[in-house]
Amino acid sequence: MSLTRVWHVFTREIRLSPRSPWVFFAIAMPLLMTFLLTSVFGSLFEASPRLGLVDEGSSAVTAAAQALEGVDVVLVSDVATLKRDVEAHDLDAGLVLPTGFDDSIAAGGHPDLAFYVSGESIASNRIILAVTTIELVRGVAGESPPVDVVVTSVGDENYVPIGDRLLPTMVYYAVIIAALFIPAAVLVDEREKRTLDAVLVTPTKMSEVLAGEGMFATLLAVVMGLATLALNDAFAGQPVLMTLILFIGAVMMTLVGLMLGLWAKDINTMYTAVKAGGIFVFLPAIFVLFPGLPQWIPKLVPTYYFLQPIYDIAIFGHTFGDVWPELLIAVVICIALVPILAALARWSERQLAMTV
Amino acid sequence: MNLAAVGAIIRKDFAEFGRNRFFVFITIMVLVAWGVVYWFLPDTVQETVTIGVVSAELGDAAGGIGDVDAAGLGVVTFGSEAELRSAVEEGRDDVAAGIVFPDDFSGSIARGEAPTVTLFVPAGLPGDVEMLIEGLVGEVAYAMAGSAPPVDPITEAVVLGTDRVGEQTSMQQQMRPLLLVMVLMVETFALSALVSVEVQSRTVVAVLATPTRVGEFLAAKGIFGVGLALSEVVILGLIIGAFGTSPLLVLVMLLFGAIMATGFGLIAGAYGKDFLGTLLVAMLVMIPLMIPAFAALFPGSSPMWVKILPTYALVQGVINVTVDGSGWADIAPAVGLLAAWGVVVMAAGAGILRRRVAAL
Repeated sequence: MSLTRVWHVFTREIRLSPRSPWVFFAIAMPLLMTFLLTSVFGSLFEASPRLGLVDEGSSAVTAAAQALEGVDVVLVSDVATLKRDVEAHDLDAGLVLPTGFDDSIAAGGHPDLAFYVSGESIASNRIILAVTTIELVRGVAGESPPVDVVVTSVGDENYVPIGDRLLPTMVYYAVIIAALFIPAAVLVDEREKRTLDAVLVTPTKMSEVLAGEGMFATLLAVVMGLATLALNDAFAGQPVLMTLILFIGAVMMTLVGLMLGLWAKDINTMYTAVKAGGIFVFLPAIFVLFPGLPQWIPKLVPTYYFLQPIYDIAIFGHTFGDVWPELLIAVVICIALVPILAALARWSERQLAMTV
Repeated sequence: MNLAAVGAIIRKDFAEFGRNRFFVFITIMVLVAWGVVYWFLPDTVQETVTIGVVSAELGDAAGGIGDVDAAGLGVVTFGSEAELRSAVEEGRDDVAAGIVFPDDFSGSIARGEAPTVTLFVPAGLPGDVEMLIEGLVGEVAYAMAGSAPPVDPITEAVVLGTDRVGEQTSMQQQMRPLLLVMVLMVETFALSALVSVEVQSRTVVAVLATPTRVGEFLAAKGIFGVGLALSEVVILGLIIGAFGTSPLLVLVMLLFGAIMATGFGLIAGAYGKDFLGTLLVAMLVMIPLMIPAFAALFPGSSPMWVKILPTYALVQGVINVTVDGSGWADIAPAVGLLAAWGVVVMAAGAGILRRRVAAL
């Protein structure tokens, strides 16, 4: 293998990348997924009850409500808007604080309180907002409960919020698109357009083409993986180790991508294989999302051996000493894929020779 | 129009599709996979926060909590602190958190002392639930001290809209439109890839060198695309029970959805210069079209810009039929809007592809 020719293929990919829609796709998709998963699904699975407030008299309840953690408080301009928002379930409940409310409370009165509940709000949110309202009003009245409450945390100290459990999903997209999808698509495209034939009539060998394209895909995947981790502030103070893991994962997926690119007879077959196989290689990310599922299942999937270490380091602060067994298995998988890729490359070369 | 030519192109496309056993197998597998995902989703909504309580004076101390049992709060009593702690740790009996009232709770209150109540809170307990439990403990203490709350939002609450307590829309029901739209959008891409290949490899020029006219070619692609998308989405609909009590109504909506997906497929296929170009165009089309289905997962009404997206009527129609049991009269406007979108998009797709083919 000529390293010079490998370098030529690699630099060609680098030069072409600014105008390549493939590279644009590899950069845009992980960023889009990061945005969607963090902003949309994070709030979907951890939604707080939403309370609308119409304050007609500058009540202290409003300021106290806005300081609450665990309830989303929205100030609404008028009662009609509040009722409309509550009915449409844009709010779980709405509270109207009339003029003079605080004075009435301070005088020991029982002022009228309009409390609207959305028919679509779940019962637990209703009781949470109702009890919270009572506590807010008691607070304004200067009352404090005649009891001391001691909170004791119990159970799984390793509980991870859903937002953090989405990290492997985001890293998965960053690595898979750049490392697996791009080399596979580029190879299929080059075979379909027969530009690969043209390259192979030069002294450049198939192995050098694969090495050059693989290097580019791996580099792009590592960069996108690092960008994803940076966006999620997930380096956990170990950027070198994270880079190493991303590199191993990117190499593994690049090998799979090159194999797919050599095997798929056309772009539709490749796309279909990605569509189907994606469910399989995505399994480790799913099992992180649902920790109650049997955790031996994702260990059957190669992507587990780089996604799980990244997750363990980012979330639990694990170190190289903790994750080296998984990384070793990942390296073994990479080594095992090389002869398969070589065999596929020889087969592909024979196929190309027959069709020239 | 030469129907024989149209039929021949459709038969050719179906034959190509059917010959690719791998493609057929994978298509079926994806349908099964989505079906399995659907059936793993929760089919009920957990509306009740269940609290474990240990109290020697349960009748007095926990009475206040028990009063609101029907309104989203469940109470399970435990004989000892250890039992309660274990239940909270393991999430047994759906216990979200635990309250341990001291033995002489009421006596302490009566003497003006502030007894200590212990809360067992599991890791990851939402802040709103912890706030509820602390508030409830306070209210029990207030009640025993004879201090009634100055306001009573529990009993004086006014419910606006249809009260769905006990009949909330489950995650399964919310996901139905999303899965259906996703399948339609995937078929948008599949068709666009098919059309793009014909355009790029110029096989369409070969076809048009025969007596077949452009209109017949477009009609064939449209019928094939609609047939493919509709058959796949109907199969998924059957798997996930999307037809509800009005199967014909849902079928009509899915048909319009398939027409719309085919129209977008023709547009993406006409613009795509290669596989990824087609993919990018298809993605640009697909992402906005997925928004109404994602929006349906969230509580509340969708903003106006979501409502004008072509798939909004499909998503709302499926939800209204399968969740609310709506009939033809209820969702006629949505069906009409969907039909209009289907016709417009299909016409646009056919027009754009016609120009693209003419330029070859």
